[in-house]
Amino acid sequence: MSLLEGFSRNLEAHPLAPCLAEGERRLNYRQVAEAAGGIAGKLRRLGLPRERPIAVALPKGIDAACAVLAVLAAGHCYLPLDLKAPRQRLRWILEDAGASAVIAHQPWEGANAWIDPRPLPPAPLPPLPRGEEDLAAILYTSGSTGHPKGVALSHRAIRAFCDWAGELVALGPQDRIAAIAPLHFDLSTFDLFSTLSAGAGVHFLPETLLIAPSRLTGWLATEGVTGLYTVPSLLSFWAWKGNLKTGILPDLRFILFAGEVFPTPRLRRLADRLPQTRLYNLYGPTETNVCCHWPVDRGRLEDDQPIPIGTPACGDRLHIAPGDGELWVRGPTLASGYWRQGKLSPLVNARGWYQTGDRAGRNAAGEYIYLGRLDRMLKVSGHRVEPAEIEAALLSFPQVTDCAVVGVEDWQGIRPAAAVVMEEDVSPARIRGWLAQRLPAYMLPAFVRRLDSLPRLSNGKPDLAAVQRLLHQRTSMRAPS
Amino acid sequence: MSDIRPRLRAFVLEELIYCENPDVFSNEQDLLEAGLDSLGIMRLIMFAEREFGVTLPDTEIEPEMVRNFNALTRWIESHRQ
Repeated sequence: MSLLEGFSRNLEAHPLAPCLAEGERRLNYRQVAEAAGGIAGKLRRLGLPRERPIAVALPKGIDAACAVLAVLAAGHCYLPLDLKAPRQRLRWILEDAGASAVIAHQPWEGANAWIDPRPLPPAPLPPLPRGEEDLAAILYTSGSTGHPKGVALSHRAIRAFCDWAGELVALGPQDRIAAIAPLHFDLSTFDLFSTLSAGAGVHFLPETLLIAPSRLTGWLATEGVTGLYTVPSLLSFWAWKGNLKTGILPDLRFILFAGEVFPTPRLRRLADRLPQTRLYNLYGPTETNVCCHWPVDRGRLEDDQPIPIGTPACGDRLHIAPGDGELWVRGPTLASGYWRQGKLSPLVNARGWYQTGDRAGRNAAGEYIYLGRLDRMLKVSGHRVEPAEIEAALLSFPQVTDCAVVGVEDWQGIRPAAAVVMEEDVSPARIRGWLAQRLPAYMLPAFVRRLDSLPRLSNGKPDLAAVQRLLHQRTSMRAPS
Repeated sequence: MSDIRPRLRAFVLEELIYCENPDVFSNEQDLLEAGLDSLGIMRLIMFAEREFGVTLPDTEIEPEMVRNFNALTRWIESHRQ
């Protein structure tokens, strides 16, 4: 069944119920269906090939949500673009994905076809396609080969997570969900599809409130937001400086968080500020969406103890490989594959499991606990960052002859940092400027340090632990008191 | 003249935003357009509170306060004894 089945059911049952809200603009279910129907009709008339994705390059909000619904209703899969990423990277992604068109407010460089959704008249939503193994979304994340990597998710996989999450927090028509994550981030599937399947309303967070935490609190109160799903780093900032007085958000029933480890002292601060709100730790790489979860037990928050990732979710099965302790996952939320040059390639091993690259164990209660990465991948405020991709960008700088990127940790979590070897002296700022043209902000190294040569192991490979020690001396930020 | 501005400039230009030539980044230039985001602002507030011994009130954390180095310096100065 289509990911939009629930939306379609609610459209029939409660066409006038509030559906999408962005500032003063409010649309009910019928208006959303008609806006999406207008775009879907245009997509059908263009006769675009079904097997190729359609890019959505709109700022997160009502227009973007309607475009996503239209793409799915017309039987295509959507490719959300990060409007803040450098143009060069977006061109690469469009090309690799083989997108047949781009839905945007202005003509888009490198697009095969451009669709401006604004002048399209409302039209009924076409009958939904039914193939649940059809692809619904391709989400590009950082790749270890030096280029971004597309994870292709089917209707079935996204539904498995969204239905499960909706049940977990008992989403219903009375709920108002704050949409915070950008569309290219897998968290956004909850905001859109769990919410619309429950007949609830999506409230798009004005982006400027991310840098005005006490106004964020005010906005959540005014909109009467009942639930949200975001990353721990944002919640940490908010709990620290959000003017969160006890009782200020009586409507906020639940918060889901995922994407990175939530340091326990900061989770405890959030839990203390919001005694009535249920908190859930969700875990899973983009390839599995969410496969494990832990409803936060406030009585078990000990500052020096990391919280567990909990027990399997969404009907997925977990396995810890003997030997290296790698966590393997299989089940309904698994992505269909990686999308490379317009084709699917498998992401499971010969036995049908996805190997996460995360090391995991079990605690005395039998819950899964996250123990770190087996490879070099870093999680930076919920985003996957492959050091190899930053290194490839560094090596494209003419004077850089050698480099190594490692994670450095401070009170705010892990960030990439770079050691470079150069033919001639170039200011680190120029290298940073070069990288900013090529990588999204979350992948930019916290700092770039010049070395005469990289420390190496006896086998000739860079000694990353030594590089890390050298770079770690640079970080001095301590935790907030 | 404030002594905090050079320290703020050094920290922000080196760790929080990306510009090719920090020497010509003016005190009026827009930091938010230059890439200062919410996590950068959190770092910046941490840094300012620790380095300059101030407490920056929750309700004053607004885009206008961190828009450029002049605004930022004035804001932090206003909380120093």
